[in-house]
Amino acid sequence: MNRCRVAITGLGLVSPFGNSLADFFQRLLNGESAVRLLRLDDPPRALAIPFVSCPGFAAETVLGKALAGTMDRFAQLGTAAAFAAWDDAGLGRRPGAENRERWGVTWGTALGGTLAYEKGYRELWQKGRERISPLSVILGMNNAANAHISIQLALGGVSMSYTVACASSSIAIGEAFRRVRSGEAPIMLTGGSDVPQAYGVARAWEALRVLASGDETTSATACRPFSADRSGLVLGEGGAALVLEDWEHATARGARIHGEMLGYGTTCDHAHLVRPEVDGQMRALRATLVDAALNPDDVDYINAHGTATVEGDPVEVDAIRAIFGSGRKKPALSGTKSMHGHLLGAAGAMEAIVTILALREQALPPTAHLDRIDPACAGVDHVTSARCGGSLRTALSNSFAFGGSNAVLAFRTAASG
Amino acid sequence: MDSLSLIREFLQGRLGVEPEKIVPGAFLDELGVDSLMVLELMFEFEDRFGVTLAKDLKTPRTIGEMASLMDRLRSEEQS
Repeated sequence: MNRCRVAITGLGLVSPFGNSLADFFQRLLNGESAVRLLRLDDPPRALAIPFVSCPGFAAETVLGKALAGTMDRFAQLGTAAAFAAWDDAGLGRRPGAENRERWGVTWGTALGGTLAYEKGYRELWQKGRERISPLSVILGMNNAANAHISIQLALGGVSMSYTVACASSSIAIGEAFRRVRSGEAPIMLTGGSDVPQAYGVARAWEALRVLASGDETTSATACRPFSADRSGLVLGEGGAALVLEDWEHATARGARIHGEMLGYGTTCDHAHLVRPEVDGQMRALRATLVDAALNPDDVDYINAHGTATVEGDPVEVDAIRAIFGSGRKKPALSGTKSMHGHLLGAAGAMEAIVTILALREQALPPTAHLDRIDPACAGVDHVTSARCGGSLRTALSNSFAFGGSNAVLAFRTAASG
Repeated sequence: MDSLSLIREFLQGRLGVEPEKIVPGAFLDELGVDSLMVLELMFEFEDRFGVTLAKDLKTPRTIGEMASLMDRLRSEEQS
């Protein structure tokens, strides 16, 4: 079977640190946390949780007033990230002579337009109104982001959204990768976005008892993956996008190549809705290595799912130990959610970008606040402070979701092929 | 507030259209008003003036047609 090599030619994000890739990555290398205490003074009861926001994002400035007004915030963040990746790839917003009928979009979102729905519920049930905005459906629908992106960039191939909890955008990226590798699409724009600060959504996560606690002074260090004193995850908003392109197509048009995507594996634990299983994660890691034609010893770095929940982190470390522990070297491991938070449906895409930048810049961001490793999470090569230099060639990015869906992505440096 | 002023206020806030461009002869599509925005504007109109528009209303093409439609519905409601 003929397989195309898959180049990564565009990266874009809307992050708590802004939209500059260089600044975003440098702040991660510095171990800087974007987590702050979020106060929602909405009735019926004020809520204060450690959270990661994108306060610098001005939707109307980036997208224009008319377009921004037809989007929920998740689609605004997503479209802005997609535009940034598209520009980064050197592609025009409107088509030139090229035919874009096979170019497509796959997008991950766990929540969709929950802010729009919540606004509608408040109108109906809190204010006693009998009707809500006529835009509620198109603001709230889960495929709004990919639909807007396809329309704005005139992409006539697939336009699909993937809702797979915390693995949404990793799976979206994996599915885009398969379309490029198979030759079905020469270019795919992929990624994810989510906005979990709707009052009802935040309350739902709180009720699940998996959120880290924190106040004005402790929120910045509240997310502590693999740490003995971890207390849970920190939700965050954001958007991240990648342009995946047939290698020959990319080189023919003289595109700058950030790196290469090598493989993708996805499995289901088929065991429990929220309790992860080592076996399912091991199968996802193994499937990715096979798909990427890699041996465990080839892997230099893993960007962990690492949410900092009490149950989740040791299971991920067990799976990594089982796959990589018997080799001659252990891959370095870091959980960058400690700094940029858990972006739910955007998490996989944001962390894929971190992984690609780590390979490109030959520098590994740390797991922040990892002063005391939980013995249950020991036995792997934890990156506790930035490591620069070395010879990184290949890396993985893990996403393990509620529902038992697992996805692992494999990348390598552009120069390694 | 008259209907034209409501249309001006809505289009300025929603699209950033300069008020002097919102004149009776201006075509809605040339101002960037699509069918979804017409729905939003109708919704706003119903809210402000307490009227209910029929579902099978013919979509106006110009600012003037829209203002006339609104004026007529308001006067029917009042009588």
